[in-house]
Amino acid sequence: MLLSLIAYLSIFLFIGISVYKAYRFATMPMHGRMDLYPIPKEEGFEHGGSFYEESEWWKKPHKVSHVREITEMLKEIVFIKKLFENQRPLWWISYALHLGIYFLMCWTILLVIGVFSIPNGVAVENLNVWGSLIYYLTVLTGICGLALATLGSGALFLRRVFDNTLKKHTTPQEYFNLLLIFAALVTGIMTWGTDLSFGTAREVTGSLVTFSDFTATTLQTLNIILVGIMLIYIPISKMSHYVGKYFTFHKVLWDNDPNLKGSAISHEVKKASTFKPTTSWSAPHLKPPVAPGK
Amino acid sequence: MINSKDLCPKDLGRRSDEQLIKLELDQLMPLLAPYDKPGMESQLTDPKPAWKEKYCTTLDGYVGVGTLVRPKTKEEEDEFVRKFLVGLEKIFSDANNGVLQPLMLTYDYCAKCDTCSSACHVYEATGDNEMYRPIFRSEVLRKIMKKYFTTSGKLLGSFVGADIDVNWETIARLGELSYRCNLCRRCAQTCPLGLDNSLLAKEIRKIFSQEMGIAPTPIHAKGTLNQLKTGSSTGLTKAAFLDTLEFLEEDTEERFGIKLKFPVDKKGADILLIHNAGEFIAWPENPVAFAILMNAAGLNWTLSSEILGYDSVNYGLWYDDPMAKKLAVGQMQVAKDLGVNRMVMGECGHAHKAAAVVADRMNLADGKIPVESCFPMFWDIVKNKRVKFDPSKNNFPVTLHDPCNVVRQMGIVQPQRNVVKALCPQFREMAPHGTENYCCGGGSGFAIMNDANFPEFRTQIASRVKFNQILGAFKDEIADPSIVKYICAPCSNCKGAMRGILEHYDATEKFNLQYSGLVELMVNAMVDLKVPFFEFLEEK
Repeated sequence: MLLSLIAYLSIFLFIGISVYKAYRFATMPMHGRMDLYPIPKEEGFEHGGSFYEESEWWKKPHKVSHVREITEMLKEIVFIKKLFENQRPLWWISYALHLGIYFLMCWTILLVIGVFSIPNGVAVENLNVWGSLIYYLTVLTGICGLALATLGSGALFLRRVFDNTLKKHTTPQEYFNLLLIFAALVTGIMTWGTDLSFGTAREVTGSLVTFSDFTATTLQTLNIILVGIMLIYIPISKMSHYVGKYFTFHKVLWDNDPNLKGSAISHEVKKASTFKPTTSWSAPHLKPPVAPGK
Repeated sequence: MINSKDLCPKDLGRRSDEQLIKLELDQLMPLLAPYDKPGMESQLTDPKPAWKEKYCTTLDGYVGVGTLVRPKTKEEEDEFVRKFLVGLEKIFSDANNGVLQPLMLTYDYCAKCDTCSSACHVYEATGDNEMYRPIFRSEVLRKIMKKYFTTSGKLLGSFVGADIDVNWETIARLGELSYRCNLCRRCAQTCPLGLDNSLLAKEIRKIFSQEMGIAPTPIHAKGTLNQLKTGSSTGLTKAAFLDTLEFLEEDTEERFGIKLKFPVDKKGADILLIHNAGEFIAWPENPVAFAILMNAAGLNWTLSSEILGYDSVNYGLWYDDPMAKKLAVGQMQVAKDLGVNRMVMGECGHAHKAAAVVADRMNLADGKIPVESCFPMFWDIVKNKRVKFDPSKNNFPVTLHDPCNVVRQMGIVQPQRNVVKALCPQFREMAPHGTENYCCGGGSGFAIMNDANFPEFRTQIASRVKFNQILGAFKDEIADPSIVKYICAPCSNCKGAMRGILEHYDATEKFNLQYSGLVELMVNAMVDLKVPFFEFLEEK
């Protein structure tokens, strides 16, 4: 029961804190434009240009391709494209970690689905098509996820330890971040890897999902607690870059909507213009003029 | 002195007044032929003893900020540190609303993957010197912030990176280091998380200016404040501006036989053209070429002689947001008062970005005059044959420099290329170009920062990659001084950097490397112009 609570609480906090962080960024004051080209949504300017390439651009419709924007974002999310293009050696290990995490997320969902799709004690040969699909996908995602994420997090840790440049810029906390993930994964392998059909994992998942009592082994307890800590820690640390990345691209670098009369931006600008800051700068040239004799 | 390979961000906190690193010529990125031979480049110099006593030379020996002077007493030092910390806290407050979200994102999320380093021309030019790694200065800022303003930093100290000593030397070095970045944002293009280290460099500059009143004199006192007082960062007053126009009209008639008239303060004109006023002083052929071309194309345009109306400069962009806003709003007011339909920015990159992008949300949309670049207008003139051109007049090797503010930060890539390709038979690109271009080394104020030994840093370090790009573009002709080789740099600050490079390396004298803007090339190709527009094409 306690482990169920830890599992639910950690997932709840992971999602809750992540959403709260996103909310905080989303409700921050409107900022000035910081366009950085190429901006993929600029339709008709695929060479990296923008609407500014046309005379009297404000008289022409600003064509925006959300398909290109989403495609570019997906390339970044699914493949970490910029790292692939600009720093290939690091991409291999960083991608291993991220791809492993994606697999593990799928694996977790498949385990939950499996609780309801794969009856206990039924041999795989006797499962229906749906059950077989879930069974084999669970095996695939579990093995790939655990292997890739462990390899990736371990390699990233070692690279930071042995790379003279990265070492100088890495704080103990940043080593800790990678070690926490690595530890959660290694205990995961030790706990669930002994049964590569993941039947045990499915059984424990079933108990966690249904709040049923079960006798957890020491390793299982350790792994569930470590994963729980990791899930709570990630959103409060800078590992929550999955939240920030949306804003850096969509709301900063690719936010080039011009402030034209009647546009949504123009209303935001108007609203922001009424804001009176509670703090002010103190340099002499920014101080308001004082009336003579005062 | 620390070996650059061993340099760590926390070394900025070393109390000793010893210079942390010294750049040596043999460590720099090698120049291409013909500058690859020994003796083709002067050695880097040491700072003068007097500068060491007065300024902060303990970073790398260069003085970028001449107003950053050493304190005379312990109290002065304490006050300096206190003010910096107050300013540091303020950049995360509502006083800095206009950048709070991007700032927080870059501050919070850097994974230190170091992808940005290979994109930085300063880092590359110095032979990968640790000091100029884009994350280096960001990390110093994070360390100070954590140490003083975060609970984790106060409780966990070095575990979270709050391990830097903060004293005058630390802060002054950080101030200097913020002026070792051209704010070109090339690094941000490569960041897998979309973070922007140049933003943090600019925020450091802002703390110094907006809270401590410290900024490089050429940018602030002689730049922005001068502009607000006289109308131009050059000190060009309205009367002097009008005199200059008159002189240029007479000179143009004398040289080219063209009766030129600059339209000034023409109410209700379609276009208000705003130049960087530095053009009138340093490169008057540029505004002359604009006037010849626009008159020939039959455009309804005007210049303004009102204060803030004849200088598009907005140095605030690089170091001081309130100053940037004051200038941008003032320039917009001039356009409104004239009742023009549009503001067209002349060949000045930062002015393009300041007026069109940065100021876009500083003015309310109602009554705002739209801002556009001169480059689409140029291409319209060529494409629609509004003026007759003869490209054979430009039959010499030409390469095009992409100003970062225009290309990477506004997405104006193609129109200027179309013009050059149409009018210059021997055009060739630099590698890389377009949005992936390299900064000229003059960006973010470097072009006008001439205090102490800073020009050496600009010319031999910041402009180094660009110089190699130029040498690479002309590799087949560079050695032959009989062939004119033209660097088209359609931006005032970029031209300032080009001038610095060519003078330092004596490249015009030795190899006939010439530089100027785009509009000059257009006018040189005009059929109606009976003599070459460029002096270097005149027969001796």
